Amino acid sequence: MAHLLALFFPPSVLRPAELATDAGILLGGAAIVAWLTWRRRWAWLWREWITTVDHKKIGIMYLLFAIVGLMRGGVDALMIRTQLAMPNNTFLGAEHYNEVFTTHGTTMVFFMAMPFIFALFNIAIPLMIGARDVAFPKLNAISFWLFAFAFLLFNMSFLVGGSPNAGWTAYAPLTELHFNPGVGENYYLIALQITGIGTIATGVNFLVTILRLRAKGMTLMKMPLFAWSALITSSLVIFAFPALTIALALTMLDRLFGSTFFTIAHGGMPMMYVNLFWIWGHPEVYILVVPAFGIFSEVVATFSRKRLFGYTAMVGSLIAISLLSYGVWVHHFFTMGAGAAVNAFFGISTMLIAIPTGVKVFNWILTMWGGRIRMTVAMLWQLAFIPTFVIGGATGVMLAVVPGDYQFHNSYFLIAHFHNVLIGGVVFGLFSGLYYWWPKMFGWMLNERQGKWAFWFFLIGFWVTFFPQYLLGLKGMTRRIYVYPPGLGWSTLNLVSTIGAFAMGAGFIILVYSILYSWRHRQPDLTGDPWDGRTLEWSLPSPAPEYNFAVLPRADARDAWWEMKRSGSCGKVSAVAVGPIEMPRRSAVPFLLGLSFFVAGFGAVFSFWTIALFGMAGVIALLLSGWFDEHDHHEIPAEEIRRSQAALGRFES
Amino acid sequence: METSTPKAHEIEQGEVVEISALAPRFEEHAFPWRQIAGYAASLLLTLGALLLVERRLLPAAWLAPVILALAAVQAGLQLGLFMHLRESLGATWHVLTLALAIVVALGIVILSIWIMAFKSGVS
Ligand code: HEM
Ligand SMILES: [Cu+2]
Repeated sequence: MAHLLALFFPPSVLRPAELATDAGILLGGAAIVAWLTWRRRWAWLWREWITTVDHKKIGIMYLLFAIVGLMRGGVDALMIRTQLAMPNNTFLGAEHYNEVFTTHGTTMVFFMAMPFIFALFNIAIPLMIGARDVAFPKLNAISFWLFAFAFLLFNMSFLVGGSPNAGWTAYAPLTELHFNPGVGENYYLIALQITGIGTIATGVNFLVTILRLRAKGMTLMKMPLFAWSALITSSLVIFAFPALTIALALTMLDRLFGSTFFTIAHGGMPMMYVNLFWIWGHPEVYILVVPAFGIFSEVVATFSRKRLFGYTAMVGSLIAISLLSYGVWVHHFFTMGAGAAVNAFFGISTMLIAIPTGVKVFNWILTMWGGRIRMTVAMLWQLAFIPTFVIGGATGVMLAVVPGDYQFHNSYFLIAHFHNVLIGGVVFGLFSGLYYWWPKMFGWMLNERQGKWAFWFFLIGFWVTFFPQYLLGLKGMTRRIYVYPPGLGWSTLNLVSTIGAFAMGAGFIILVYSILYSWRHRQPDLTGDPWDGRTLEWSLPSPAPEYNFAVLPRADARDAWWEMKRSGSCGKVSAVAVGPIEMPRRSAVPFLLGLSFFVAGFGAVFSFWTIALFGMAGVIALLLSGWFDEHDHHEIPAEEIRRSQAALGRFES
Repeated sequence: METSTPKAHEIEQGEVVEISALAPRFEEHAFPWRQIAGYAASLLLTLGALLLVERRLLPAAWLAPVILALAAVQAGLQLGLFMHLRESLGATWHVLTLALAIVVALGIVILSIWIMAFKSGVS
C-alpha cells in the first residue's frame, strides 16, 4: 500500500501548483457531474455525443478538446515565461521546468494542433465535397475516442505518477530508464502511441472520403483547396506516422522490457532514435501547416469576392511541398556530425521547399489584388498570417544554411523561428477557420468586435513575445535552460518576451469570453450562408441536418455554390426528389474501445501487467464485436426528411 | 467465395458512393478463415525472426538477409489479406500509392543508412 502510494504520488506531484490543479479538477469535475445529474443530461450526453458517429458532432468534440489543450499548453507557456522573466528566478525549479516545457510542446503539437485540425476536417470536408458523412463513420469515432483517452492519460501524468521531462522530442538517452526512472516518460510513450493509432486511422478515413465520396461532377481539379489540403495532409499522415510509431515502440521496449535499441552501453544507437523521430517530425510540421494553407485559400477567396488566383499552381505547390517534406529531416540534427555531404544534401533540399511555399504566398496576395476585401475576423487572421509566416519561413531558410545552423541550433533563435511558423502559420490559420466555419457548426455567429480585440492582443502579443527571442538567440541564450545569471544582456529582452506572452494569454481569454458571450447573446445564422460563400457547405442550413444533403448535389464547376448562386439556384430542393437515406447508426464501441486502450495504457505505464492485459482483452473483444456487427446502418424515411427540410424552409415553392 | 464489393466499371471516378458500399464487406457470409490464417502466419513469421536472433540459429552473415526476406513475405501477406490489395474499386490509386510507398520506404532506408554511416566514428 505504502509502496503504491509512493509510486502514484512521488514528491513531484505533491508540489503546490500540482495540488492546486488537483483541487481545481476535482471541483470542476464535481460541478460537471452535478450539473448533468441536476439537468438529467446523462442520457442525452450518451445518446447525442458519446455514441455519435456523425462527423459534425465528432468535429465539435475535437474542437472542445483542442481548446482545452490550448489552455493547458498555454498555461505551461506562461509558467515557462514567468520563470524566465528575470535572472536567477526561483518560480520553477530545474526539474519542474523540464516537465513544464515537455508537456507544453507535447500538448501543443499532439493535443492542441492535431485535434484542432481534425475538428475542422470533420466539420467542413464532407459538407464541402457534397458527402453525407466520412467514408468510415465508426472508425472516425474510434479515432476521436482514442485521441480523447490519450489526452486524458497524458494529462493524468502530472497528477498521478509524475510528468514526462525529456522534451517533446524525448531523445534517447534522456529517456533511458537508467537516467530517467519513474513513470513520466512511459506516459508520454504510451499516450502518443494511442493517439497515433487514431491519427493514422483519420488519415486513411479522409483519404478515402475525398477520393471516393465527392459530389457528382467534382473532379479532383474542381475540389475546393481545403479538400486538397486535407487529401495531402492525410497522405502525409499515412506515410509519416509509422516512423513515430516505431520510434516510440522501440523506446517503450527499452524502458519496459529491457531491450537496448537505443542504449549505447549495450551496443544500441541513440542517434537512430533522433533519425526516426525526425523522419516523422518534419512531415509532421507540414501535417500541421498544410491544413492552414487550405483554410487560408478558402478564406481569402471568400472575403475578396474573387476566385482563388492560380488554382493549378496552388495544387501543384501543395503536392511539391508534400513530396519534398520527406527529404529534409536531417535539418533538425545537422550538428549530430553526419558529415559534409549529408548536411549539404539536406540543407539544399530544405531550401527547395521555400520555392513552392513562395508560390502559394504570391497566389494569396494576387487573390486579394483587385478584390473587394471584407475585414472580418477570419480575414484579419489571414492578413496577419502572410507577413508573419513569411518571416518565419525566411528564418527557417537561415537555419537551413548548415554553417549558420551550427550557431543557431538549439538557441532561442530556433525557438522564435518555429513559433513564428507554428503560431503565425498553424494557430492563425486555425483561428481563421474557427471564425469562418463557426456559424456552420453551431448556427450562430461569433461576435466580430470582440474577435477583433482578441486578434490584436494575440498578434501584438505574439511579436512582443517572439521578436526578442530572435535577439536572445543571437546573444547566445540556449533553449531548455531554466535559469540564467544577470549581466549577459538577456534580462530586458526576457522580461519583454514574458510581457508579450501574457498579452497573448489575454487574447486567448478574450476569445473564450467572446465565445461564451456570443452563445448567450445568440445572433443566429438563418441563411446558412453568412459570408456569401463559394463552396458547397454554404448551400446547407446552419447547422446542417444529420444527413447533410437531402438530395446529393452536383458540382460542375470550381466554387460550385458560387456558380449555383450566379445561375439563380438558391440551395432549395424539390420535394419529389427526396428519397430515404441510409445513415450509419450510433455505436458505443468507439467510446468503449478508447476506454479499453486507456485501461491498457494505464496498466503499461505502471507495469501493472494484469490491468494492461485486461484492457487489451477489452480491445480485442470490442474489435471482434464490431467485425460481426451487421446492424450498423439505419434508414431515415423520406417522409421524415421532407418534414425536416420543410421546417428549414428548404423546399422550392 | 462471396464478395459484395462493386466492380470497377460500376463506379466511375468521382461518382457518389453510398457509404455502405465502401465498407470492406468481402466474405460477408463466410467466417474470415483467410484473415485468421494470415494473422497466425504473421505471428509465426515474427516469432521465427525473433528465434533466429535469440537462439543464434544462423551464422551472422546470413541473419540480416534472412530476416529481411521474412519481413518481405510478411509485408506481402498483409497487403494481400488485410489491405484489400486484391479487390479494388480503381486500381490506379493502388498502383500510385504503392509506388509512392516503395519510393518513400526505400528513400528512408537508403538515406538513413547514409546518414548513420558515421556512427562507427562516434559511438
Ligand atoms: C502561447 C504562446 C506560446 C508561448 C509564450 C510559448 C513559449 C515557449 C517557450 C519560451 C519555449 C521554450 C522553452 C525552453 O526551451 O526552455 C517553448 C517551447 C516549445 N513550444 Fe511554445 N509557446 C507558445 C505557443 C506554442 C504553440 C502554439 C506551439 C505549437 C503548435 C508551441 C510549440 C512548442 C514546442 C514544440 C516547444 C519545444 C518544447 C521542447 O523544447 O521540448 N508553442 N514555447
Ligand atoms: Cu523540419
